[in-house]
Amino acid sequence: MTWLRDVLDDLADEAPHVDLAERTIAIHERRRQTAVSLIAAALVIVTALGATAAVRLLPAQPRPAANPGAVTDLPARGVGPLSHAYKTFCLPESGRAPAGCRDGEWRVVTRTGRTYRVPQALPSLDAYRSVGLRDSPLAISGDGRKIAYYGAREQTFVVRDLASGERLTAPAKIPEAWLGSVSHLLLSADGRFLAFTKNPALKDPAMIVDMRERMVRPLPNGWNPIGISDDGGTITLAQYSPKPRLRTMSRLWATSTAGNTTTADLPGSYFFSPLAPDGTTVMAIENLSTQTRPCRHGDLVRLDARTGKTLKTVPLRGLPADVSQISLRTWRGATEVTALTTSVRCRPASKDDGPAEPEERRDPPYLTMTAYAVDVGTGRARKIATYTAQGFFEIVLPGPAGAL
Amino acid sequence: MDRNDSFREFVTAHQQSLMRTAYLLTGDAHLAEDLLQSVLLKVLGRWRRLSRIDNPEAYARKALLNQHISWRRRRAGAELPSTSPPERSYSSENTTVVRLVMRQALMRLPPRQRAVIVLRYYEDRTERETAELLGCSIGTVKSQAHHALARLRDLAPELAPKFAELETMQEGRR
Repeated sequence: MTWLRDVLDDLADEAPHVDLAERTIAIHERRRQTAVSLIAAALVIVTALGATAAVRLLPAQPRPAANPGAVTDLPARGVGPLSHAYKTFCLPESGRAPAGCRDGEWRVVTRTGRTYRVPQALPSLDAYRSVGLRDSPLAISGDGRKIAYYGAREQTFVVRDLASGERLTAPAKIPEAWLGSVSHLLLSADGRFLAFTKNPALKDPAMIVDMRERMVRPLPNGWNPIGISDDGGTITLAQYSPKPRLRTMSRLWATSTAGNTTTADLPGSYFFSPLAPDGTTVMAIENLSTQTRPCRHGDLVRLDARTGKTLKTVPLRGLPADVSQISLRTWRGATEVTALTTSVRCRPASKDDGPAEPEERRDPPYLTMTAYAVDVGTGRARKIATYTAQGFFEIVLPGPAGAL
Repeated sequence: MDRNDSFREFVTAHQQSLMRTAYLLTGDAHLAEDLLQSVLLKVLGRWRRLSRIDNPEAYARKALLNQHISWRRRRAGAELPSTSPPERSYSSENTTVVRLVMRQALMRLPPRQRAVIVLRYYEDRTERETAELLGCSIGTVKSQAHHALARLRDLAPELAPKFAELETMQEGRR
């Protein structure tokens, strides 16, 4: 054994101790199901376009335009309220990327249909093409007038008022490495509080930032922030793995060291909505998917965010039969929540090794997603909008997102 | 036992050893974890085939090296040492400082040279094994090791006597 061997051995002792088995299996399963679904969706789209062209003797339509008109960089001020934001990866395995596409970049779309690039936000790295894992998140306030993102130049989170151009930066720099491979950002309705969490949890903290008073409090990582009280003192978090749970943390800014935390284990698997406007409940759709029968959803349920108890169950009605994936998003008032859906055709996961490993794939194709307003009292859904994005992780609507 | 169980067994047995190598290659706990996570995903994607071969760990180790070199190529300039080496002179017997200086110096090596140092002097691989793992010739391994040691000596001049001893020992072995 040489001197150099001893030094390297000492250095290697600093390596983190982790258990990556369960996380790897979970990520693999998720990517495989997504890939299977997206490939199926791409086939459906190609077939449909081909049929249309044959019948009408028209050339295949280009991808639906999510960005009418020229796409320019986000101006310093004077931008109206946003409808949504989407992330672009530029080598879709089928179809075309938006014109002027830049890998990992966010674009925001105003309610009037103007699309802007957000080069101020750090681009995400593309997990599909071996350039590393880094998810740079973006959030839109409930009124669509503010955005939060990780500033490439600032090296920390920035909240920006789109009309006035006012920018608030978090009080401390945050290393890019903390962004993780799946990041979540929640911006309070008034843009004052910003919660950031990520997966994998690693050892560095998640956090909630008071952008106005420039204070920071740690949060647990590995959770999705799904709601924050108006005073920023209480946050609601949801988790899928290792088991479905809801957590409420209160007195976040109290001077004493510990706030109050309650955690509720849930009996089944759910797709969670953001915290309801009543501040105490969460809507969720039962996830009935299994290895052999993927993309199956059950009823709409209202859960008590603190206890996890099911308060009400109603069947979901009015969605087309081919809807396969649902993500609950923005609340549209006290009784309606947005359900973002795709109609990709799901088939059981193959017993073989599945598609080629993600590192060797191109990016997911751009999909049309349909949003429905769901009446949480009756379970009835009505169509409200369509969007184009590469997946649920690549589209942001105003207000807190449900758990992804 | 399903394939996930055998994969779990594999990960439990080898992840810490792979993580140590990943840490030496990246010099950063987060990057090391990302690197290993990405490699384990690749291994799991091929587990049905890999679990039937004698040594899936060798595949994982090779994938780790390739992924590291490929990431470094794309993320050139992204790595920054997080702690500065001491400005005053230090003793080459102070293990904490030596470790710090060595980490700094290692991080400044090009990825392939760093991989050669890790394989030859940490994992005690032969030149032939190192060449196979890196997919290059034995001559390349020799020259990369030579250049890497020379560069380390430049980057950490206070450790030069130690490197000189090392090279003397190597000469003696030949």
